[in-house]
Amino acid sequence: MSEFIENLVNAKLRNMKNMNNVYEVGYVSKVRDYILEVVGLESVGFHERVVIANHSVGYVTAIGKNSVMVALLQRTNVIFVGDEVVTTGYDFCAMYSKAAMGHIVDIFGEDRLIGEKFENLKPHMIETPAIPIMERGEVNRPFYTGIAGIDLIYPIGYGQRQLIIGDKKTGKTQIALDTIVNQKDRNVICIYVAVNKTKKNIRELYENLMKKGAMEYTLILAAFNDDEPPVSYFTPYAGLSIAESYMREGQDVLVVIDDLKSHADIHREISLLSGKIPGRDAYPPDIFYTHSRLLEKGCQHKDGGSITILPIVETRGGDITDYISTNIISITDGQLVLSKKNFEKGLKPAINYGLSVSRLGGAVQEAEMKKIGAVVRRNFLSYLETKEVYQLANVDEMSPEMQQSLKEGEELQERLLQYKFSPRTPEEIKSHFMEVVGNQL
Amino acid sequence: MSDVCVGKIISISELNVQIMINDEKVKYHDMLYAMNKGKKIQFEVQEEDGRVASCIPFQNVVGLKKGLDVFKEAHGLEIQYSDEILGKVFDSYGGLIDDSHIEEVSKRNVYNRNISLEEINLNGGILWTGIKVLDFFAPMQKGFKMGLLGGAGVGKTVLIKELINNVYKGFNSNSVFVGVGERSREGKELYDEMKDADLLDKMAIVFGQMGENSAARSKAVFAGLTLAEYLRDEKGQDVLLFVDNIYRYVQAISEVNAELSRIPIENGYPANINTAVSNVEERINSTGKGSITSFQAIYIPADDLTDQAVQTITTHLDGQIVLDRKVAEKGLYPAVDVFTTTSKLIDIDKIGERHYHLVEEALRYYSRYQELEEIIAVLGIEELSVSDRNVFYRTRKLRNYFTQPMFVAENYTGIPGEFVNIDDILDDVENILSGKYDEFDENNFLYIGKFNGRKN
Repeated sequence: MSEFIENLVNAKLRNMKNMNNVYEVGYVSKVRDYILEVVGLESVGFHERVVIANHSVGYVTAIGKNSVMVALLQRTNVIFVGDEVVTTGYDFCAMYSKAAMGHIVDIFGEDRLIGEKFENLKPHMIETPAIPIMERGEVNRPFYTGIAGIDLIYPIGYGQRQLIIGDKKTGKTQIALDTIVNQKDRNVICIYVAVNKTKKNIRELYENLMKKGAMEYTLILAAFNDDEPPVSYFTPYAGLSIAESYMREGQDVLVVIDDLKSHADIHREISLLSGKIPGRDAYPPDIFYTHSRLLEKGCQHKDGGSITILPIVETRGGDITDYISTNIISITDGQLVLSKKNFEKGLKPAINYGLSVSRLGGAVQEAEMKKIGAVVRRNFLSYLETKEVYQLANVDEMSPEMQQSLKEGEELQERLLQYKFSPRTPEEIKSHFMEVVGNQL
Repeated sequence: MSDVCVGKIISISELNVQIMINDEKVKYHDMLYAMNKGKKIQFEVQEEDGRVASCIPFQNVVGLKKGLDVFKEAHGLEIQYSDEILGKVFDSYGGLIDDSHIEEVSKRNVYNRNISLEEINLNGGILWTGIKVLDFFAPMQKGFKMGLLGGAGVGKTVLIKELINNVYKGFNSNSVFVGVGERSREGKELYDEMKDADLLDKMAIVFGQMGENSAARSKAVFAGLTLAEYLRDEKGQDVLLFVDNIYRYVQAISEVNAELSRIPIENGYPANINTAVSNVEERINSTGKGSITSFQAIYIPADDLTDQAVQTITTHLDGQIVLDRKVAEKGLYPAVDVFTTTSKLIDIDKIGERHYHLVEEALRYYSRYQELEEIIAVLGIEELSVSDRNVFYRTRKLRNYFTQPMFVAENYTGIPGEFVNIDDILDDVENILSGKYDEFDENNFLYIGKFNGRKN
């Protein structure tokens, strides 16, 4: 019997030597939550996947003179100082299979509803280099959300990055969901990336999309609240990496990232625990680059295929000028600001038209929509401003022009209201607003 | 040729690779490289401690291992140039990224040029931009450095593009555009637009955009400067330099600084922020041979104008145009804040008495208007005195008048752009303030060029 085992071991060793992958072994020397210090790994690669005590998975975040730092991704048991750490020879990658479309998955390629891995999993590099400038095409095809306030006033195009920003409970996620549902029969693959969401949130979202028949073309890539923080940190990158592979096949992809403020907080947590020097608001100084390289994946490729991104950011007290919000605004191609006040007044979707911006504007609208949109935007903004200044003025004393424009503004406001999951087609939107501003075209 | 091996890698993090140096010597800003699985990774020396050199890697270090041999290149960071740089697109390290190539190149080190006090030339004529609010409140002169400050999403890039469009066509000279840490999409759009307008052959472009690592973003501005200096020093030209966005350079340096574990100052900026900014800004100057006129976009983080980086950069400038979210919110573009927008030319000896007094008068109206707005919010307009009511209505007209349809925003607004002459601007402002246009509704002044006395 012992001879049999010896032979088996020798054969295995021979194999390993032939394949040139004799694994190196080191030992855990320090544990700080999910950041480990490991000694004894001399020839491990930066970002290499390692296995700790035969059961947990991590990756190398820094290689020091005498030790390496490892961040934990999956932990099945308690980790002790002295546990064995084995290298694998592979860079850490996300795993994804096309069969996962329509399911809730994590970056390891596991179906989160039933806890089984998909077949035919392929590795996806977590971070791929930026798509070169000269490979980018013009962003000019209209991407319809079915929401009049967006399609008409602050439009989105294939390959655009449009931020959705607002306080808690102002309908941010709902706008993203409306957009996903409106992609039915438009041949767009949707990827909803959940960062730091509760399991209840995700279950609810899944069932909502299921009910609307939108799960057929949607993937929910989810990191839960109780996953290891490095997993939450990587999930958006993995989502964009998957989106990029679809784009390279000529597909149009929509990616919703819900939400980037949580992502920034997780990055801050990991950085501080790793002993990095903090910057403004204790965020690490590379926080801008963390999000810029992520969102720069959004583009219209010159050979067809596109990635449209709708990142979501949660604010406090309606302040969109805090550090993280302005950082992300300065990366995206525009922002849709949702206001608590409007929401409470029942003006839904609660878009703050004064603060919202689309940097592409008319460039992503077809000719007629663009013409109507330009007039509606100008008149409506001027109405909102005038209303504020003249709210105490006596209406009868106003010039007839002024009275007329106030009346028109109210009409526009009424027509911009829209309930959830009630998309309007571009034709409906156009005719609906032509009735008001048609005489000014 | 075989470069000498200077040492081995002993530690690796994303932006800091340490190398144990053997008997060879290396110094600050030397270029080193290692071969990782057939790919070349370059490093630039930032710091030395005994025999350990800390370097920033220019490429991604995923998969890099300890113990790799490191070699030294013959020269520090250099950029290639020749007469053919115009119409070409470079990356931060001087490589061409538009599938073209340059023949008969010379090379320059990107750090070496310093300007002496003697070389500096202050003279230059006024440069009208055709943008009403800029020409009126912050006129520009050849050889000036003008900052365009704004928080996120208030219209910096549109304004800089409009300036390229207007100034460039009128100025009729060569230019260099440096994209630092901004959107790749906009970079490509700029390239396409210049190409469509047949202007590309007068512009050299350098991109180190926001999707690239901090090494690339911190070097792009040096590459661009070196090209501009070539045109100025060797060709004796008057050069336009557009930098969008110089703040991103400081931001990139902060990232590098943190990775080198140096203690930062407030908000994570590097302790040597002044030196770092001076190293760039002092090179943007005019000499007896040629001039560099520059427009620099400056991002205001968290809408905080007193931010250390913003203040450090603006110290070097001859004027600043400040864009304000409160103005943008009202739909008034360009969203200029007239109180903080200024230029060294606003001087009675330089722009003449009429222009100077009109600026003073306009500012007086603006500041009274601000006070009145608060009163009106409580009491309503009817309670104001006649003269205050005049101030109120005329300032609203003036405010609307200083909006302008832009050539580069035609796609967005649906209104064709307008170039307005300074004499027309002065006439219109005078007429609005004196009450000559009182009979016209304020909406008649929105998004027009010069006022044509029409009601719409």
